[in-house]
Amino acid sequence: MIWIDGHLVSEGPGGVYGERMLRGCRVWDPKRSKLAALYHLGTDLELGPDHRVLYLGAANGTTVSHVADYVEVVYAVEIAPRPMQDLLVIAGSRKNIIPILANARRPEIYRPVVEEVDLLYQDVASPRQVSILFGNSCFLKEGGTAVLMLKPRSIDVTRPPEDVFREVQTEIEDGGLRILDRVRLSPYYPDHIAFLCRRDEAGRPRPRSEP
Amino acid sequence: MNGEPSYYTMESYWFGDVEGQACEPAPGDPGLLAERIELLAGRGDTRSPDWRIAVRCGAVRDRAEYLERLRDAALILAERNLGQILQADHSGLIQMVRMLDQLDEVINLLTERAVEWHRATRPGFSRKRTLPAGRSLIALIRQDADDALAGLLDGIERLRDQRSLLMEQVSRRAEEVLPNCSALAGALVAARLAAEAGGIRELAVMPAPSLQVLGAKTALFSHLSTGTPPPKHGIIYQHGRVHGARREKRGRVARTLSAKLAIAARIDYFRKSADREFLLNAAEAVRKAGRRE
Repeated sequence: MIWIDGHLVSEGPGGVYGERMLRGCRVWDPKRSKLAALYHLGTDLELGPDHRVLYLGAANGTTVSHVADYVEVVYAVEIAPRPMQDLLVIAGSRKNIIPILANARRPEIYRPVVEEVDLLYQDVASPRQVSILFGNSCFLKEGGTAVLMLKPRSIDVTRPPEDVFREVQTEIEDGGLRILDRVRLSPYYPDHIAFLCRRDEAGRPRPRSEP
Repeated sequence: MNGEPSYYTMESYWFGDVEGQACEPAPGDPGLLAERIELLAGRGDTRSPDWRIAVRCGAVRDRAEYLERLRDAALILAERNLGQILQADHSGLIQMVRMLDQLDEVINLLTERAVEWHRATRPGFSRKRTLPAGRSLIALIRQDADDALAGLLDGIERLRDQRSLLMEQVSRRAEEVLPNCSALAGALVAARLAAEAGGIRELAVMPAPSLQVLGAKTALFSHLSTGTPPPKHGIIYQHGRVHGARREKRGRVARTLSAKLAIAARIDYFRKSADREFLLNAAEAVRKAGRRE
């Protein structure tokens, strides 16, 4: 990842959403992007120039545009028409964003275009965030990473976030993904938590998850 | 073709059809590719693509061309689908309703401020006097307002005219788009419900009890979080049979009306035409719900 004076940046044509520029690089604001917040809080996750990414919940393409600066290609799935209009403008001015107007709960709709990916990134507001993750983990190559930006309030507003976190953690592990790390996104995003998971290679004994 | 037994089943990818070693690249035009992707998506049994197959197939030269083709087709497909959704959603109607509600707020706010201003300059303009509403209030102040205020009052007057115009347009659009809901609850209420739900489709897939409390967000969340009594009605309160019913009957009328409206919204969205028989029965059920025993 590229840092300039404590600011996370990405290299690409600026002026996508009025972001600040720093020595010709686009500043990636942790207050506007959960992934940037994750990097500011510290993570091992790396984005490489040969990475293929499936991005669920692409929204207006703010985060997508930065991810696209780092990786080879982003398959950006978004269901809401309004944000999709913005995303299309961004995809039109870049070569490596493939916009997909579809519901992340129905991966069969975009299976014909999405290849095997190195990173599955999910930031959707749905009560079924975990089942969406598993519905899409078939796109993840063995040894690939999944990042789940969990919004406990979308799962159940009335329950304490802690309960939801614990339950989701069990569900992920039972589903066959290994949790590498969990990072709370406060103070940038209170109540949000990022789960970093790995799809282990088949046939290998699954190492025990870290607590 | 040459008598070779077919061990292979055909695999269709967005870039072409593969059968064993043989491959038929799809036409490279992005518009046609978009159609092809749509078709494959509808089949639901397609495998994920692999760019190496596309190269072997002769559909593209290399990885860069693979991505370029795919991205061009995906852009066209997304734009096309977006256009269809925006049209099917009648998001124009939703925006009109929101504009109407916002106009109301602005007009009220400006009128209130104008009254305050007028009071400050005319000591004789008593607070005790009961003020008329709407247009007559503006006319009353206009009589002896100074020039600056008079100009603003004309502006408010114009906003009121536009508001009436917009209201008619909303009603007309709602009657077209939501014929059953409009017949049952009135065009304006129907349009407001759709706007609050977030769209025609959203309204159509909404359960009746959700529809019943649409527009009563504050009461609903205060109920969920602190256990105050649940709201009986939201926007549908504006329906004559609901607010006209006796207090103890209102909940029942609201429940019946929302149950019928939920069905009406489904007919509106999926069948797109008025159902006379349903409407007669539904109106009767709502009437009965409010009757005294």
